Amino acid sequence: MALILPTQLVTPCTTRSRTASPSRHGSLSWRRTLAADIISAPSSSSYPSLSPGGGGGCVQVQPLLVKCTAAAANLAPGTPVRPTTILVVGATGTLGRQVVRRALDEGYDVRCLVRPRPAPADFLRDWGAIVVNADLSKPETIPATLVGVHTIIDCATGRPEEPIKTVDWEGKVALIQCAKAMGIQKFIFYSIHNCDKHPEVPLMQIKYCTEKFLQDSGINHTIIRLCGFMQGLIGQYAVPILEDKSVWGTDAPTRIAYMDTQDIARLTFIALRNENVSGKLLTFAGPRAWTNQEVIALCERLAGQDANVTTVPVSVLKFTRQLTRFFEWTNDVADRLAFSEVLSSDTVFSVPMTETYKLLGVDSKDVASLEKYLQDYFTNILKKLKDLKAQSKQSDFYL
Amino acid sequence: MTTTAATALTPATAARYCIQKRGPKPPSEFIRAINLKPSSSGWGAAAHGRSSAPLIVSRASSSSSAPKTTSKGKRKIKKDDGDDPPDDKDEAEEEEKLQQQQPSSVSVIKRLDDVNPVGLGRRSRQIFDEVWRKFSGLGQISRTTRTDDEASLLISEGGPMCEFATPGAQNTTVLVVGATSRVGRIVVRKLMLRGYTVKALVRKADQEIVDMLPTSVDIVTGDVGDPSSLKPAVEGCNKIICCATARSSITGDLNRVDNQGVYNLTKAFQDYNNKLAQLRAGKSSKSKLLLAKFKSADSLDGWVVRQGTYFQDVVAAKYDGGMDAKFEFSDSGDAVFSGYVFTRGGYVELSKKLSLTLGSTLDRYEGLVLSVGGNGRSYVIILEAGPSADPDQSKMYFARISTKVGFCRRPIEGPVRTKQDLRSFQLILEYIKALPTGQETDFILISCTGSGIDSSRREQVLRAKKAGEDSLRRSGLGYTIVRPGPLMEEPGGQRALVFDQGNRISQAISCADVADICVKALHDSTARNKSFDVCYEYVAETGKELYELVAHLPDKANNYLTPALSVLEKNT
Repeated sequence: MALILPTQLVTPCTTRSRTASPSRHGSLSWRRTLAADIISAPSSSSYPSLSPGGGGGCVQVQPLLVKCTAAAANLAPGTPVRPTTILVVGATGTLGRQVVRRALDEGYDVRCLVRPRPAPADFLRDWGAIVVNADLSKPETIPATLVGVHTIIDCATGRPEEPIKTVDWEGKVALIQCAKAMGIQKFIFYSIHNCDKHPEVPLMQIKYCTEKFLQDSGINHTIIRLCGFMQGLIGQYAVPILEDKSVWGTDAPTRIAYMDTQDIARLTFIALRNENVSGKLLTFAGPRAWTNQEVIALCERLAGQDANVTTVPVSVLKFTRQLTRFFEWTNDVADRLAFSEVLSSDTVFSVPMTETYKLLGVDSKDVASLEKYLQDYFTNILKKLKDLKAQSKQSDFYL
Repeated sequence: MTTTAATALTPATAARYCIQKRGPKPPSEFIRAINLKPSSSGWGAAAHGRSSAPLIVSRASSSSSAPKTTSKGKRKIKKDDGDDPPDDKDEAEEEEKLQQQQPSSVSVIKRLDDVNPVGLGRRSRQIFDEVWRKFSGLGQISRTTRTDDEASLLISEGGPMCEFATPGAQNTTVLVVGATSRVGRIVVRKLMLRGYTVKALVRKADQEIVDMLPTSVDIVTGDVGDPSSLKPAVEGCNKIICCATARSSITGDLNRVDNQGVYNLTKAFQDYNNKLAQLRAGKSSKSKLLLAKFKSADSLDGWVVRQGTYFQDVVAAKYDGGMDAKFEFSDSGDAVFSGYVFTRGGYVELSKKLSLTLGSTLDRYEGLVLSVGGNGRSYVIILEAGPSADPDQSKMYFARISTKVGFCRRPIEGPVRTKQDLRSFQLILEYIKALPTGQETDFILISCTGSGIDSSRREQVLRAKKAGEDSLRRSGLGYTIVRPGPLMEEPGGQRALVFDQGNRISQAISCADVADICVKALHDSTARNKSFDVCYEYVAETGKELYELVAHLPDKANNYLTPALSVLEKNT
């Protein structure tokens, strides 16, 4: 397993140098430098850390070896980029779509970088955003999308089913380097709270390394660390409870301060315009931290019905993770389960927000609480269900 | 087996998406999906016994499960490619392993034994996937279950959980004129986000412009200078936002777009309203009520000329030249009220008792439009309303109008007419109409304050804009006229705004803020029949504050428009 890894790191880089378009040769010279760096670097220092099954058990990415060597963009006079043009990476995601929506509403011209796929993201176009096709895992597709962009907001993360590294590490490195080379004037990166404290979780480690990489790149940036999204709870708990399906929870004592993605998007744009925040690391957290069991209890109360809860001890999760790590093809699964390490560590994913609110000039009352959010959801959906029930008596509407 | 399951499931996902969004999909896919329905757990649950209601919910959840299912298939395929022999063993091992940990999943699978054996394999796979998805989801914190495009309508796309949701947006069609302008572009996006149906009037529908607008905007080609092209544009519209402006400051251009263009639009819209009203055999609630029309000698019947003085001054009266007035139909076909008033404190008046058809009152009307031509004097209009039997209870509405030399038209609040002048006067009357009242604004016009325009052309620009504003005020439509300061291309919602009347603002404003005001004004009753200037807050140096203005910082929660506008005067 360990032997495969360096090649995984290297392959995309060589692809990059191969595919550098001759016309952009000058500005994109970083590709070659980067490739050379990576090829030489792992041989010296990153091998020893890659003991199979040890440590985090997965790829110990050594990001600091990859220096952002992109030449600063040629800032010769030309048409200045309008400061209202932004590029949102990962625009179809839970957070990304809220960011796009907020940006459009505030009058930005929004470009969305989405992967080419058969069913295009029509809703983004419907809102008035411009959709460009590119894939972070294919770095040669990136530069063209950055032309004329002032700010990049990066909300992308790999899909659960794909290896964490391709998008979250290699893709991000390519994106940041492109941004640097093309003179992007602001970069906003979403990371995970406490990612520096849990190097054993691959995604968190990658996020932390990306933060470092971004800081080293010298781009004008803001890093925003997030805890958890309220929107995620709907699919995880609220819907199964309404459907009388079993809800799976853990007995983990971890508390997470969930936050509404609409609030995150709102605060992001306040931060984006605030020059004092430039180059800083902000953490956004919800008003209160909740355990898994508390959330389920809250959903039960609001839905007015008991949930069929299956509680899985964290130890089982950990065991499965250990088990899945043994096979190469289950490695992705192991990576996904890696958070069990965090869950068992009794961490609180929350942070006092008073300082941040003050810095951004935001009233804490404007930030939605989980009770309010879920209450709205249940009120609305129960009403909708009632309407549908009334309708369905008249006709068989799903045919 | 794994391969077929994976490919078969993908169309099912697509079809769910298709049904929910009602998007166009090839029918073949659709049929395939329906065939597959019984095998999918979500659909199965809905089809058995459970009423159709939970379907939406199950869609939401199954949609999140679907990508995972597919992915699992993919992963297995990949593995198939690589090492063939240990394949089945691996899978069995994995399954077994999980079943040990999850006794509940074993029981679920057992329960399925009595089902059709053909679907058994596929079904057990799905259940396994579901269990596995939930299980592995437990190990997550910050990652949400991917709901992809089929996300519940409640949270996205203008559902009630969306912060932009506007009640009534679904049933409102808005025509945006000048949709490609700086403000218009943002207005269109804002309307789309809020779930309005949007029509966009553009001059040329070439690819570049189509790409600029959201895909589901209904694009109509037309020119405000050409009345016939506006007919299809206003069809089906409830409201109009006009962000168009002349491209140059050439007088002809200004006149065509800013003046005549607005007139054409209001006319086309009123025509359409009247057409609708005819269809339901009624009168458009937006049409004006004709109170008097002076087009023939007969129409002057009933109008009485009277004279009097406000106070008795015997001494002064001796030296007065007296006064006289007449109201007659001239040879040129105009009804002319003319005469002279030399008496101090004296007045002449022209009045008539309004004869409204039985049962109708002026309750539904909130203003009068007079088409008159004066000679530069000012007049006072008085409308007296109340029970005719008891004059003590009647209410008087006053309005002073000044006439310019030449022909002009002005809407006046508080109705009927009398005029007062100290010298000789002449007033040509054409018609008097009452403007209907209403809840919301029908037409939002973006005008300008004149600041920021090259001073050599300012006058011409303002004249055209004013003329356009006037034709809108007279149209009988509920109007909101926004006069922003110089427009800046920057994000909105950052700075406090100042709403004012009287052309004394000095600051700029961002296009996005103007767009926001337009969208907010659509359903705001305080915005109806108002004209106002708006700009960024001006931070005066201490000691130099000239006047006090109320500033409002736009924010998510607060509706800044209502309090700001409620203090401003109507019918301006």
